Amino acid sequence: MNGEPVDVRRLSVYHFGNQGPLYWGILGVLAIESVVFGSLIASYLYMRMGEVQWPPPGTAEPKLLLPTIYTAILLASSIPVYWGDSGIERNDARALRWGMLIGIAMALGFLALKAIEYSDIDYFWNSHAYGSIVWAISGFHALHVLSLVLKTIVIDILAWRGYFNAERRLGVTINGIYWHFVVVVWIPLYFLIYWSPRML
Amino acid sequence: MSSPETAPLHDPAAEEERQLVRTWRSPTGFPGWFLPVNQREIGKRFIVTAFGFFIAAGILALLMRVQLAHPRLEFLSPDLYNQFFTMHGVTMMFLFAIPVMEGMAIYLAPLMIGTRDMALPRLNAFGYYVFLLGGLLLYAGFAVGLAPDVGWFAYPPLAGAEYSPTLRADFYATLIAFIEVAALVAAVELVVTIFKQRAPGMSLNRMPLFVWAILVTAFMIVFAMPAVMVASMMLALDRTVGTHFFAASGAGGPVLWQHLFWFFGHPEVYIIFIPALGMVSSIVGTFARRPLFGYTALVLSLIATGFLGFGLWVHHMFTVGLPQLAMSFFTGASLLIAIPSGVQIFCWIATLWMGKPVIRTPLLFVLGFFFIFTLGGLTGVMVASVPFDQQAHDTFFLVAHFHYVLIGGSVFPLMGGLYFWWPKFTGRMMSEKMGVASFALLFIGFNVTFFPMHELGLIGMPRRVYTYVEGMGWDNLNFIATVGAAVLTLGFAVTLINAIWSWFRGREAGPNPWNGDSLEWATASPPPVYNFRHPPVVRGRWPMWENPQPEDRVTGLRPDRREVLITTVLDARPQGIAVLPGPSIWPFLLALAVCVAFGGFMIHPAFFLVGFFAAFAIVVAWHWPGEEERLPPWKERTRE
Repeated sequence: MNGEPVDVRRLSVYHFGNQGPLYWGILGVLAIESVVFGSLIASYLYMRMGEVQWPPPGTAEPKLLLPTIYTAILLASSIPVYWGDSGIERNDARALRWGMLIGIAMALGFLALKAIEYSDIDYFWNSHAYGSIVWAISGFHALHVLSLVLKTIVIDILAWRGYFNAERRLGVTINGIYWHFVVVVWIPLYFLIYWSPRML
Repeated sequence: MSSPETAPLHDPAAEEERQLVRTWRSPTGFPGWFLPVNQREIGKRFIVTAFGFFIAAGILALLMRVQLAHPRLEFLSPDLYNQFFTMHGVTMMFLFAIPVMEGMAIYLAPLMIGTRDMALPRLNAFGYYVFLLGGLLLYAGFAVGLAPDVGWFAYPPLAGAEYSPTLRADFYATLIAFIEVAALVAAVELVVTIFKQRAPGMSLNRMPLFVWAILVTAFMIVFAMPAVMVASMMLALDRTVGTHFFAASGAGGPVLWQHLFWFFGHPEVYIIFIPALGMVSSIVGTFARRPLFGYTALVLSLIATGFLGFGLWVHHMFTVGLPQLAMSFFTGASLLIAIPSGVQIFCWIATLWMGKPVIRTPLLFVLGFFFIFTLGGLTGVMVASVPFDQQAHDTFFLVAHFHYVLIGGSVFPLMGGLYFWWPKFTGRMMSEKMGVASFALLFIGFNVTFFPMHELGLIGMPRRVYTYVEGMGWDNLNFIATVGAAVLTLGFAVTLINAIWSWFRGREAGPNPWNGDSLEWATASPPPVYNFRHPPVVRGRWPMWENPQPEDRVTGLRPDRREVLITTVLDARPQGIAVLPGPSIWPFLLALAVCVAFGGFMIHPAFFLVGFFAAFAIVVAWHWPGEEERLPPWKERTRE
């Protein structure tokens, strides 16, 4: 670039991929969210450290069956979402439409089973400190899953209207990254809430 | 200077400028006020609003000093005094220090890296409205007697529902969480912009130190702020729906709050301080008339400070009764942070030593910073040791210490920065005479106010008492401090007058009045709405001092839409183009919805859901594809 201006006329507009600003923006959001979940996990462990018996006397250890089933469903939901994402990269709009729809259904299944679990529980957020932190972590994560569902419904509406294609799929990519994050972040939370009282 | 509006039609350069103005200008007028997204417009608003809150909190401080001038005064009631010191702390930390530094960063960093706007400009505007609404709501509470009165760190159980039954502590808990959203948004913006939009050739090791400082600060915000959001939401839940996070009888207890709060609270000090270090580097290099000594050492010190800042929080909690090992560790870490600070001070002194310093107001403020901040650093090393801290904890010694660090370390460089960049903001120079007078008043007033507080603390005066009795030996020192506060106020008033005067009468500045080294000086003062007609290309660390050639520029950005150049993260090689959105009402509406979610929460938890769904609907409308985006995607950007 000696003696000549840098001519950028031929450069293209980025709509996706890890070179665009939005990709770095979503990484920033994920970093913030990770610290939020990290603070909640640290608070749980701090509370656990200060107690002899955890959960406190009179409260049963959390049951495993239902949570394990819905955890499996949530983990599996990443598969159709990934299938949809990579479908639109090949201009396969059908994969996108159905992938998102299946993902939404699985996330709703997760929320429904979680609602059943919590309707059958014998303590509330105001019962004791254990109840506060468990309800906070579960509720905060469920709110994330709910927002995933709502966002993806919008993406799917646009997909059915034929908006996305291989070159115009930024919304799909960002939504997919966020989806996988919300799924992955549940794994440590699952072990924390359902296994750590048995093992620590 | 010929305005683009009046230049002849056939001139292609003038035609391009006219088109750029049309593309980049912001709407004006009443509804137009809610629309702009341009980075300098938002930055200016952050700075002006933050200084507004600075004046409010300064008046509170002055009134507190009046109350303490003599023993047993009844100028302020104990209840009002509690509200005043809480609002003073909350305002200075959350509504002044962070936002003003963000404002400077949002205004200056994009100019310094040679780009036309920040990535994600609408989010930028959203952050500003969140800050504004949060601040106004807090002061609305103050006006109706509902200001928080539990100190700026709001320890439970005092801040819990049992001991603070009114809405006062709710204003603290929910609004702190809300206002932090603004800081987080700005941090992400700044990281992305600095990583992806630097001028071609500005590799990371050529970045101005101010931009480095902002980058480190932004990372610190991302990793520190969420902790206080979580903590203050837990406190809000404790107060509204009866959870037991911080109940003294529960498993978490008040100490959990302290851990979470100070895990944010200590980095917060560096979040305020590191941008100021960046300003010092800009000013020292320019007025020493030579490149900064030890660029690499300065950058590494900034990064080291950023990391170490996270390992200090327990030194705020030495009197809690934590395990000995933890306290020793945090003592060590607290002493360690003196090293990068010392390295930087020596680099600046070496720069001045080897240069030919030109003493102007900005440099005077930097010299004042050296003196005051070094004293604050020394008392910092003192309180880092556990036995001394246990003696000085919650006394006026601490008040003296952190005002030396925060005003000396942050406000003095900020004042220097204000004088330094004022010509860039307004196109006019501030008066040098008034600048020197203001500096002298501030320097003397500051030391007269806060130096006696060291002694007051050592002889036992606790902080946060609304009055004291005669015969404690505190009378004279308190009176001196109050006199100092009056001088300090006068010093700020002179700068305010200077600013207003120069706005109308100041000498025209021209693009580079101080002969500065970085790219903000490459464009007009104030810069046109598009910042640079041809974004610059950089060949070294001090671009304005390296004989920039007319061909060191980027051509081929389309003037008829908001295009910015995207470059690689490490080496800043051109990579692509981003098309930025124009003015929009959605950021304001989204801020309003989030405000309903947080502000309403203190009245009833259901407001949170109302806000959540309203925010969701607004986000959908915001992102709903517009007409242009429905056209076939651009294969070829230029129409040839």
